[in-house]
Amino acid sequence: MRCAENLLSIMWMCIAAFLLGTRLGGCAETANTSELIEFAAADFYEKLHSGKMMFIYFEYKVSPTISLFLVELEKSAEALQDYGILVGKVNCNREVVHTYCTDQRLMHSVFLFRGGKEFLGLDLDTVFDVNSIVSEVLFAILREEVKYVHTDTDLMAMEKAARGKKDIVLGYVHSLGTQEHRSIMETAYVYGSKYQFILITGGPVLKQLGVNESSHSSGVWFLHCRVHSGFTTPMTSERCPVTPMRKPLSTLSLHSFLQLIEAPLVSEVYDDPSTVQPPQFPYQHTPQVFLFSRPVTEHLDLDTATALAWRLRGLAQLLLVHRQSPAVKTPDEYNVAYRLPEKSLDVKYLTLHNMDEVLELFTNEDKAEDKEEGGDEGLEDEEDNAHSGELDDEVAASVYENRGNLLDSDLFTQIRSDNFHTAVARSGLTVVLFYLKWDAVSMAFFSSFIDVAQSLADSEVDDIQMGSVDCGEWTDLCAAQSGAALPVLFQPITAFPTVLVFFPQEPVLHYRGMLGSEALHRFIMLCRFAAPVLLSRQEEVMSFLQDESSQAAGYRPDRVLGLFKAQTDIGVSVFTEAAKSLRGEVMTGLLTDGLAEKWAADHTADLPVVLVFPSWRKQTHPSSLPVSSSAEELLTHINDARLHPMPELTVENLPSFLSLGKSLLLLFVGEEEDEIGHRQNQALVEEMKQVVELGGVRMERYLACWIHLGRTPAGMSVLGSYLGSLPPLPALVHTHSLSGDEVYQYPPSSPIVAPSVLQWLQRIEEGTETPAGMLVEDTWLPEVEFYDFLKIIDMQEPGSAKQRTPEGEEDDNDEEVDEDNVNVEDETWEKAAAVPSYSSAPDTKHNTHSEL
Amino acid sequence: MDLNLLCFILLVLTGCVRSSPNHHHHIEYCVLGAGPAGLQMGYFLSKAQRHYIILERNQGPGSFFNRYPRHRKLISINKIYTGRQNREFNLRHDWNSLLSHEPDLLFKRVSGEFYPPADAFPRYLAMFATELSLRVRYGVDVGRIRAVQSGSGRSYVLTDQNASDYSCSVLLVATGLWVPQTVDFVGSDLVEGYESISTNPDDYRDQAVLILGKGNSAFETAQSILGRASRVHMLSSSAVRLAWQTHYVGDLRAVNNELLDTYQLKSLDGLVEARLEKIVIAKRKEQNHRSCGRKKTERNGKLYLTLTKYVQNGSVVSGEELAGHHIDNFPTRKPYDRVIRCLGFRFNFSVFDGSARLPPSENAKGRLPAVTAWYEGEDAPGLFVLGTASHSRDYRSSAGGFVHGFRYTARAVHRVLEQRYHGNRWPSITLLTTQLLSWILKRVGEASGPYQMFEVLGDVILLRGSHCDYVEEFPIQALPQFSSLSGHEVSSHGLLVLVMQYGKKKIDYLGRSRAETDWTKAWRSNFLHPVLYFYDRLPTDKEMTLRPHSWPLPRPRALHHMIEDFLTEWDGPVSHVQPLRRFLEHCVQTDLRSFYADSCFRLSLTHRKPPLFCRQRYLQQQGVARRHRQPQHAHAAGLIAAERQAGPAQSDPAFPSFLAQAEASVSSGLKLDL
Repeated sequence: MRCAENLLSIMWMCIAAFLLGTRLGGCAETANTSELIEFAAADFYEKLHSGKMMFIYFEYKVSPTISLFLVELEKSAEALQDYGILVGKVNCNREVVHTYCTDQRLMHSVFLFRGGKEFLGLDLDTVFDVNSIVSEVLFAILREEVKYVHTDTDLMAMEKAARGKKDIVLGYVHSLGTQEHRSIMETAYVYGSKYQFILITGGPVLKQLGVNESSHSSGVWFLHCRVHSGFTTPMTSERCPVTPMRKPLSTLSLHSFLQLIEAPLVSEVYDDPSTVQPPQFPYQHTPQVFLFSRPVTEHLDLDTATALAWRLRGLAQLLLVHRQSPAVKTPDEYNVAYRLPEKSLDVKYLTLHNMDEVLELFTNEDKAEDKEEGGDEGLEDEEDNAHSGELDDEVAASVYENRGNLLDSDLFTQIRSDNFHTAVARSGLTVVLFYLKWDAVSMAFFSSFIDVAQSLADSEVDDIQMGSVDCGEWTDLCAAQSGAALPVLFQPITAFPTVLVFFPQEPVLHYRGMLGSEALHRFIMLCRFAAPVLLSRQEEVMSFLQDESSQAAGYRPDRVLGLFKAQTDIGVSVFTEAAKSLRGEVMTGLLTDGLAEKWAADHTADLPVVLVFPSWRKQTHPSSLPVSSSAEELLTHINDARLHPMPELTVENLPSFLSLGKSLLLLFVGEEEDEIGHRQNQALVEEMKQVVELGGVRMERYLACWIHLGRTPAGMSVLGSYLGSLPPLPALVHTHSLSGDEVYQYPPSSPIVAPSVLQWLQRIEEGTETPAGMLVEDTWLPEVEFYDFLKIIDMQEPGSAKQRTPEGEEDDNDEEVDEDNVNVEDETWEKAAAVPSYSSAPDTKHNTHSEL
Repeated sequence: MDLNLLCFILLVLTGCVRSSPNHHHHIEYCVLGAGPAGLQMGYFLSKAQRHYIILERNQGPGSFFNRYPRHRKLISINKIYTGRQNREFNLRHDWNSLLSHEPDLLFKRVSGEFYPPADAFPRYLAMFATELSLRVRYGVDVGRIRAVQSGSGRSYVLTDQNASDYSCSVLLVATGLWVPQTVDFVGSDLVEGYESISTNPDDYRDQAVLILGKGNSAFETAQSILGRASRVHMLSSSAVRLAWQTHYVGDLRAVNNELLDTYQLKSLDGLVEARLEKIVIAKRKEQNHRSCGRKKTERNGKLYLTLTKYVQNGSVVSGEELAGHHIDNFPTRKPYDRVIRCLGFRFNFSVFDGSARLPPSENAKGRLPAVTAWYEGEDAPGLFVLGTASHSRDYRSSAGGFVHGFRYTARAVHRVLEQRYHGNRWPSITLLTTQLLSWILKRVGEASGPYQMFEVLGDVILLRGSHCDYVEEFPIQALPQFSSLSGHEVSSHGLLVLVMQYGKKKIDYLGRSRAETDWTKAWRSNFLHPVLYFYDRLPTDKEMTLRPHSWPLPRPRALHHMIEDFLTEWDGPVSHVQPLRRFLEHCVQTDLRSFYADSCFRLSLTHRKPPLFCRQRYLQQQGVARRHRQPQHAHAAGLIAAERQAGPAQSDPAFPSFLAQAEASVSSGLKLDL
């Protein structure tokens, strides 16, 4: 281990940093903010031939899985650098490194190079995050040093070989590639020359160690195979004495454990236990046990202490106190004392009759503590998070993280109480964001708002004015009390952020879409169209239906056309009202007279009629709706007609489909790599349509829909949550059933064809299918307990927060100052006067100022 | 009555009211006094279009300020530059303006001085009354007030100097305090009063002056003569209380405290304590007939301070009766040229008939009438006390006796009237529960009412599950009567009360540990800071009476202090916002965190229902889009969630944990068996 010494110091620095409040991960990971190193082919060869250790991924095509992996790979670069391993990627699209870039089969692997040649290829399935990368790579490098033991016989042989030479550190991890695995490998890298590291896979070896395999928790045992002089009992047994590590396995705890094993077995002191220093770094959490020694029995006492120390090894430090020292004040009746620095620095004294009681004290304590510790540590973590600087709100956290970035709001008008009317009148369309600086959602959206303003400016749209109102400052404007003569055009703002769109001479429009730049941009662009657009010529209708300006921006809006006999038709006002509230969401057009007749006839409808052209439908086949008596009703119909019967669910559109309250028949498809994949996905979607058609009425309570995991990566974790793991794709799932929380998976082995899907649904309804998972029933109670000030006050100032008892009822707020009898003694006039403020007693009863 | 009313309005409108003797007016609301409180109430009544009249005995508003303070400098802060445009916030530092919807009707229009001249105030009040067209009748000197019980209920009848009667359904007494407070002691007749002393310092040239009182008027007087008088001594029973220590603006303000300096630097001035009842101010008897005439008169002019126990009788004493005779180093053994009484003012109880009696409150030396927590006379329903006279509620603790405080209590009283007599509930704002956090922060950052009337007015938040009703500036001592006074019911979800509070500990006010910065120690904050009380139901009167010592409210179910802030801006994400959010989460028993749309998407598909924020935003199609691809920030959120629910990844969007655990792989190609 060339750099073990160095590394050891690095690690201790990490640990020190950890103890100062930084996360260990932070030390290894966050220091590196650079991108993953990309090697040019030449570089790669140069490094390769220099014999450097390298861990390289050859990137050919980036799918979501790969990009996730690359993020993790980047994170591991810093960690592996400490072990002298270079981490990077080679972009095969730029330069081809032979065989690695050319052999498609190698795309799913990442390679470790050592001594100028390929040392190992790891499948991406085994290296999926920092922990797995670091543990697998170190495991590969330490292949010679760290032994893998499967049976107890093998272990016995290892022990025999190590006896008298090396102590053994035995590790068990319940699965590879975890943080525990990494901790053991990192420790092995550092201590590999000192101890023999052995990794076991469970089974018989665990049984030998007396561990219940089903507990599934990882663990470390220290096997004292090197003969220790302190041993009083000769090692008769074949086996090396074992000290289990009792703390949960982490790099930090493992280091502390090994350090503690190395610490002197018994320390002798001449001070009273109460004045003995508490254990010092790195043992500061280790309990201390004090035994007492008298000169007469000194040797015997030491032997006893050593014997006990062996049994307490890894659990507590043992100190032998020499009673003859005058500093020792402990009464003779006590023979044992201990201190639990995690709880308090107080020393507790006991009178015990045999050593087992001491041990019991600790093992029981330990058990109790273990139990508590699980909770405690969790609590501590929670405390840390709960009561330190960590923000646990993802929006607040991201806003806070970007607090250093000044938001550039030059792109839009700062609207104030005094310029509101002039600002709004200045432009044909004014989009105003009302926000609060301390509202995380406001500020998260503020950035998107700037993006929209920027893109409008870039595309030289000049009929739109963007503006913002800081409601923390212009509180009267936001409360719709301008104070000015002109009326305020909107209701008081009570939700933040709010976006309002002002048109001259028209009611204000409330933006009710996603708080994101794309959706807002789309909304604004559509707002530019009148609602409805008045159409009078055939060409106008055609261009209305095929407007390129919006298509150019990358989306196709839904269009709604109202056809009426005449402008005076009563339906026109209903339609117009509906059109106004749809402004920004869809394009609406109004067509009357002869042209309307013609269009209606073309679509075999009678006037008046409303034609809805959803973006997903062919223009030749709009849905035709009757004109309802009220705008709300018409709106509902229009919105229903806009919904796709077999939609692709996205983050943005899910709410409108969930609100239908139907069971979901959800098809997950993966990202297509090529044209064939694309066609296959399409075929699948078509097959689902078949399911809907074939099922007829039965399918009405289902919403058949699909999620494209490439476009909607959030779907991956949904699928994972349903089934506990990612199944092969495509996967068909039935969830959100009206009757229960069960989630069913369509048999992955059977082909997705309409009749069998329907049969499967039938079986689900009949209750003969086994659910693959469950929806999580969550009451969404607070994630973190609040900081209970009442409890703190009760603890720190007992009684001060208690209701008073009726006897003490005198109203002490109403003190009567001048009635008090102070300083009338002539002699003390001046004296008292020289002590201002506190000397007098404004309150006759309490003799203090109650207001102080 | 209607005819009367019409006639009255007509008279008012034509502006030529000439009340004949025994003419009887019935008015819904009578406001007595056109000082700041009377005009403030007049504004609210006028805004609500109520039938009201303000009666004023003088010919202009705020006549008290034509005379007082005698040395013509107001000590109420007129801070016209705050660096902020927020009108509400700016009122925190504007102690003179009255409330109105007019953004410009502020005191700064009449004066830009930080401590403005007293003359500016009546000018401001006149402007206020004129621009808002308040109905004020000047020259009506009400000498008698009595209550009359009739079929239609209780009313108050006011009789003016011309024996005209005004019958009022509701009487709002805003007469202020203008009767000088006096104390009876031997020789009190030899004492001059603050109300009539000369304000020309030269009249005090080389004189020894004893001032009775240690309040602002006493110190103001002392300060004005420091450069002329030979000695200025100040005497009262209690020691000086400094406003900057007590946070009570009625205590000695630093602007008036020069005498503390000259006392402590031993420049012949001084402070002494004694009960006024025990002192004697006396002239000295002529010693014998041998003295020549001139000396005699000189000595006769001098005033001696001695004690009752040495004096036989009368205010002319012999040498043996002087304190200095008994104690050779008696501090005030030397005679004074003048003794000035500066003991403040008291409420004029005398105009109230037995039927409309207002008993003096127990505090404030009985100078103020006792009123309920909503400022109604204890035994006089329909009679409310406004302005300085209403200060018994928060005497020596908050700002209810001062313009910058009682302008808000007047508004609270008006809201009580609207609810009681017109069935208009207190104004409230309905908020989504997920918006409450931001709204509280908004109020905490700008609200001037709870800031000025700390520990007296508080915002009440009625929790109702997914939404809540926010009621501003309720007099919290009246919390047990909240429902009847405000017209708002409290639901089983309980309520929150937001109050601003100072710390109650005696500390070294300029010392190093005067302020806390660690939010977990917020309850030890010494400076003004927001405190939230959570109750699951309204506290009872008894609980209110038995509340913990020095607390404004009874022990709540849960309590939250927001750490004091040097800039009084309580919007730090870590120190202020998150702890508050967790407190609110505890009170509403719901996760109130916000989530990005993709998280809501996931939570909506994997849960029966997503968290409240997703329900109130995302599911209403207003999800918060993640801007670009943000690196995973909220590690903590992910960790905590994953730990607690031990389920699949909750909040870590970048890397779901099941990917790590399961051996499954995302197959990128499709295995279709079609």
